Amino acid sequence: MNSVFAQTIRDKRGFLAGWGLGFLALAGLMVIFFPAMQTDGSLDALLKNMPAALQGLVGDLANLKEFGTYLAAQMFDVRVQLLGGVMVIILALGLTVSEEETGRLRTVLSLPVSRTSLFVQKWLAMLVVIGLTVAMLGIGVLAFQPFINEAIDLWVLARLLGMTWLLLGALGSVVYALGFATGKRSIAMPIGTFVVVGSFIVTTFSAGVDWLKDYEYLSVFHYYPAVEIAKNSAGGTDALVLVALALIPLVLGWLRFRVRDVR
Amino acid sequence: MNKSMTVMTLSGVSKKFGSFNAVSDVSFSVEEGEVVGFVGVNGAGKTTTINMLLGFTSPSQGKVELFGKRVRPSNAHKSHARIGYAAGDMELPLKMTGRQYLDFVLGQSSDDHTERLAQLTDVFGPQLDKKIGTLSRGNKQKIALVAAFVTEPALVVLDEPTSGLDPIMQDAFLGLVRAEQKRGTTIFMSSHYLQEVAEVCTRVLLMKNGKVVEDLSQKELERSGGKTVRIRAKHKIVKLPPGSLAPTHDEQDDAVITTFTHEGAVPELLRWLAVQRGIEDVDISERTLDAMFRGAYDDGEKRQ
Repeated sequence: MNSVFAQTIRDKRGFLAGWGLGFLALAGLMVIFFPAMQTDGSLDALLKNMPAALQGLVGDLANLKEFGTYLAAQMFDVRVQLLGGVMVIILALGLTVSEEETGRLRTVLSLPVSRTSLFVQKWLAMLVVIGLTVAMLGIGVLAFQPFINEAIDLWVLARLLGMTWLLLGALGSVVYALGFATGKRSIAMPIGTFVVVGSFIVTTFSAGVDWLKDYEYLSVFHYYPAVEIAKNSAGGTDALVLVALALIPLVLGWLRFRVRDVR
Repeated sequence: MNKSMTVMTLSGVSKKFGSFNAVSDVSFSVEEGEVVGFVGVNGAGKTTTINMLLGFTSPSQGKVELFGKRVRPSNAHKSHARIGYAAGDMELPLKMTGRQYLDFVLGQSSDDHTERLAQLTDVFGPQLDKKIGTLSRGNKQKIALVAAFVTEPALVVLDEPTSGLDPIMQDAFLGLVRAEQKRGTTIFMSSHYLQEVAEVCTRVLLMKNGKVVEDLSQKELERSGGKTVRIRAKHKIVKLPPGSLAPTHDEQDDAVITTFTHEGAVPELLRWLAVQRGIEDVDISERTLDAMFRGAYDDGEKRQ
């Protein structure tokens, strides 16, 4: 229990509890709203009257008729992307630049802990925190679905949760790598925010804006097609891209962190 | 007799931040068992030097070696197994209790130091069961000091270790340093408290503007210290005896207090005093580290 990994998990208990309960509540609300979404025909009329560029915010109404695709389209594909993106930016900055700014990074590095070991252990701790938070979404769905007499296919839920963990792990890894590579909040935070918000805008609006379609592959969320995942048609290529998106900056960040000055 | 080992070597070490030279061409080595005081005003380059020693930063030029191995940020952890470190402004994990933090520190060592931990907690009496974030600065500092010494390291690096400690704890700390010196531990300590440096250090390095300007062993300190001369006279004494430096003049009531350091021969000083007019009182004392420190920083320093 005296590893950097264990210390980091212990340190993030409050974060985990806060975001975990938030995700649980989000899942509960989304489940409870499903009957209204399924039966309310006024949504069709509303969507038809919306500008094409904004229709991407709502998605295909056909997806709202089935519980699994509804959750994929309305919870995983919209809210979790943004909320989760914000969460991992806060988490990754907290594990890297905040530790350096307060001087606690130097305290750990004054012990016989190598920079490589610290980098890896904190990253693993981040993945565990993200994994536990994402798991709360699943627990929320399973806990609240009996109230509306629905049951999501467990395999569908597992795939959605797994890809969400991969997506948030990849986004977190980008910010984490930048944080350790530079030690500068002024670099890590804007780039992390740009990746999350930029990806969200590109993916959301490309549904109705033709010229954006050509650049949609640049969005991280392009590799997280939640509805397709729910329909069991998402391939392993998306997962591989997310893994690569995590690993490439991680390796570069580690190489830089090993040799740079720590404040 | 055991042959002394070089614990630390800095060779031509410089550190630049942009165009600012924080440390310029510093070279010295420290032998096993030495207790070295590292003194200088704020911004002299002491902490920057310590940061390079511990591998937090790398020198812009030159090299740092600990236990015969070159220190780089990527390999510094190897020497840290034999180093204890505490700083006055050290940030400990606020959400942990002191006990949890010390367990974490001990967890990085392969040896059992339970007995040592008990000894050190007896010396400092830290509050181990409260969260560090709720402790006063002094109590945090006690935990940092216990952590620095608990693994029985061969080298202890301390950066302003007693800032925040009350006088009783400062004495406890000095007692611990003396005990560690007897055990053969090497201690490298920066401090603004020259009294404590003079009390426990076997050698003093004085840093000024990023350079080591004095490197004095205890014997050299005693031998070349000279005398601090304080004269109360009716008028300002302008012409001082040969071998005198750093004079200051303070007007008090109807007299002028002239204080200077005399590095020349004492009989010469006495002869000079005998022929001075208007002297009301004279005080001659051993030149202290404090006086040397002030002398080195006196911009108007000049020998007369």
